[in-house]
Parts: sequence; C-alpha cells; structure tokens
Amino acid sequence: MLGLVLLATSPPAAPAATYVEIAGGAFRSTIRYEGNDGNSAVANFALMQHAVSNREFQAFVMQHPQWRRDRVPALFADSGYLSHWQAADAPDPLDADAPAIHVSWFAADAYCKAQQARLPDWAEWEYVAAADPLRRDARDDPTRRSRLFADGTPHAVDAGRDAPGNAYGIHGLHGASWEWVGDFSTLLGDSDKRGGDDGDRLQFCGATGLSFNNRDDYAVLKRVALLSAMQPRSTLGNLGFRCARSRP
Amino acid sequence: MRPFLAAPVTSVVMGLLFSLPSLAIADELPGDSVYQVAASLTAQDGRSLTWQDLRGRPVVVSMFYSNCHLMCPLIIASGKELQQQLSTGDRDALELAVLSIDPVRDTPAALQEVADAHRLDPHWHLLRPRDSDVRTLAAVLDIRYRAQPDGTFNHTSALILLDRDGRVLARSEVTGLKPDPGFVAQVKRYLAASP
Repeated sequence: MLGLVLLATSPPAAPAATYVEIAGGAFRSTIRYEGNDGNSAVANFALMQHAVSNREFQAFVMQHPQWRRDRVPALFADSGYLSHWQAADAPDPLDADAPAIHVSWFAADAYCKAQQARLPDWAEWEYVAAADPLRRDARDDPTRRSRLFADGTPHAVDAGRDAPGNAYGIHGLHGASWEWVGDFSTLLGDSDKRGGDDGDRLQFCGATGLSFNNRDDYAVLKRVALLSAMQPRSTLGNLGFRCARSRP
Repeated sequence: MRPFLAAPVTSVVMGLLFSLPSLAIADELPGDSVYQVAASLTAQDGRSLTWQDLRGRPVVVSMFYSNCHLMCPLIIASGKELQQQLSTGDRDALELAVLSIDPVRDTPAALQEVADAHRLDPHWHLLRPRDSDVRTLAAVLDIRYRAQPDGTFNHTSALILLDRDGRVLARSEVTGLKPDPGFVAQVKRYLAASP
C-alpha cells in the first residue's frame, strides 16, 4: 500500500539507461601534453550505451526544474540552451530517442551527477571511440579515418538509427552530434596564455601545450578543436553527451 | 509513515517563505553568481560549510593543491601580499578562500598544515570540496587543471575577486610573489565602494 502511494507521487522517470562495462587497458592517445607522451592506462569504467536522449533529458528537467531553459541561471547555460524545444519542459515534437543537444557542460555535468554518474574523461571517450564494429582499435584503418571526417554531421558513420554498436557494444560515438567530456577544458590552454614567455610556464604550473601524436587522426583533431573552443555554458545544435561511472 | 509527515512540514515552510516575498527577492542569487553551484566543503579546522556560506562578504578565491611546491606557495604569497597592501579596515572586510583540486589528499589536517606553515590569519579559508564537485567549481571559476601521471597537477593559478553575491569582478593570473597592481587596485576600489 505504501509502495503504491509512493509510486503514484513519484515524478515521471525515463527507463534506467544501459551502462556497458568497459575493460580498461594501455592506450596511446592521439593527443599528448608536455610531460606526458600520450601513453596512458585507462582504468575499468562503465559507459552509457547510447548518448542521453531527448526523453531522458526531459525527465531530468521535470525532476530538476532549475534546469528548465526559463529558469536556468545564466552562469550555467547560454541563450541557446534547449532553445529548440517546443516548450520549456517538452522537446515535442522531437524524436524522443535522438540525442539531447543544445545542452551546456554544466547541464550535462548536473544530469550525470543526478544519475550517480559523471561525464567520461577525454581519455575514456577516446579509448572507446577508437573502436569500430569489429576492432577495439581501428584507428590505423585509412578508410575508416576518412569516413570519420563526417563526425558531427548527419552523414556520420553512427548517425543512422540502425548503425551497429562498436566492438564494446557502444553506439553513436561517431554520430551526428559531438559529445561533452568532463575534462574538456583541459584539452587546450587558452591560446592567449601560451605566447611563449616565461610567465606561461608558471601560469599552468610548469606545463601546458597539447600536441598530436598522430596528425592523421582527423576525427580526434576536429573533435579536440571543437571542444577546446567551448565554454562550459556554451551549447550547440550538434553537441550532446553521455555519462560514465567509475569502477573500483 | 515518514512520507506522510514530510508533506505538512514542507507546506508550513513554503507558507512561511511565500509570506515574506520582499525578503525572498532581496535574497535572490544573481543568475551569474558562482554561488549558483551547490557544493559542500570542509575547512582546514574540520568545519563543514557550503559554498554559498561565503556569500555576504567580498572574497578573493583561488584553487590549489597543498602538495605543490611551485605555484601554490605563490598563490598564498600573492594573497598575503594583497592583504598587506590593504588598510586594516579593508583587510578585515575581505575573506580569502582557496579551494583544493586534490580533495583526496587535501584533508583538513593537510590544509591546516598549510595554514600554519604560512601563518595565515582567520580570514583565510582553505577548503576541501567533495571529489565530484571539483570540476564544477573549477568550471565556474574558469580554473583549468589536469592530473599528471606523477600525482602532481597542472592548473591555472588565479586570484579572483567575488562581490558579496558571488559575481566575478576581477581576476589576475598569479605570476610571482606579488599580486598584479591592477588587481589590488580593483580590490581596493570595491571595498571602498561597498563599506
């Protein structure tokens, strides 16, 4: 009886998202920082199988109305935030299963925290996105590389609804929208702080510059360029997100 | 039974809130206030507080980690030098808050050691956020940091002046032992304008 009453008064909820367990491992990132050659070990973690959808983000906004576009503080989102929704609490008539877009980093961060999760780090994202449907690391395949040029557009390899999952069983990493990562702001220092005088070393505590281990990895170059140009309150019509969870 | 008890209590509280509309408006946080972030913190003396508890007084804020031997002492030295350049009255009006980017290692005891080593006065608040809040706080303050494989962090070192409601009024990058004179002037100007 009590259970029924509680159910009846609970806010509407989207079905729980599926998280896929990702076995970590050694990984050579396409990007490297001063003091770090790009070889890293990615720990085990879990990643959402699909990007957060319109339906899921609507459920979040209804449960946390401070994230409605008409209530969100200016600190957390620019004027583009959810601007494509028909109403402040309803994305209709958008495709409920399509990735949520026009979402700021702050909103994505809050969404994941509300699911007892977090945004994936860049290294985790890159690790899983190196896979194609057959190989966990398909980055050396020139044909695939050229196809990934279409990432972030409707022609992207994972843009179609029936696009297969990758070798980890994750869908849509190279889809029609880009995705936020938790540490996007560290992908590049501000260019105006990296002019080369001695003060620069101090300002970033000894190291700053990001460079590329593999300049043929267009998909990563383009993605890094895009994310590093964003502010955490920025939104874009082709930028969504998914969440991750740490594993002990 | 608990869920049934909670509702009447909530409605009484809400009733009280709505009966004091003028107070509620005066209290409303500006949309661009960094205190829009809800975060719990622990101070160097072990006291728990919220990020919003800093509201009400002018604050110079920065982020650091205590196991840092290059920039972090400079952040503290700059803050102390800033205090030195203020009148006694202004010094008492200004709080300094330093948030840790390394909450795993920056326990209250570790932060207290830093406060003792640098003989920081009671206006200094060395604060440990929860792990999950570090990135959010860094994002609203535009502090960029990255953990290095050797356990150190790269991070931007800045002094940021917040007004009483948590709006960013001025910011300067820390590049040495002394604060940027332009930043000091902005702090003085704000304190003079809002006694």
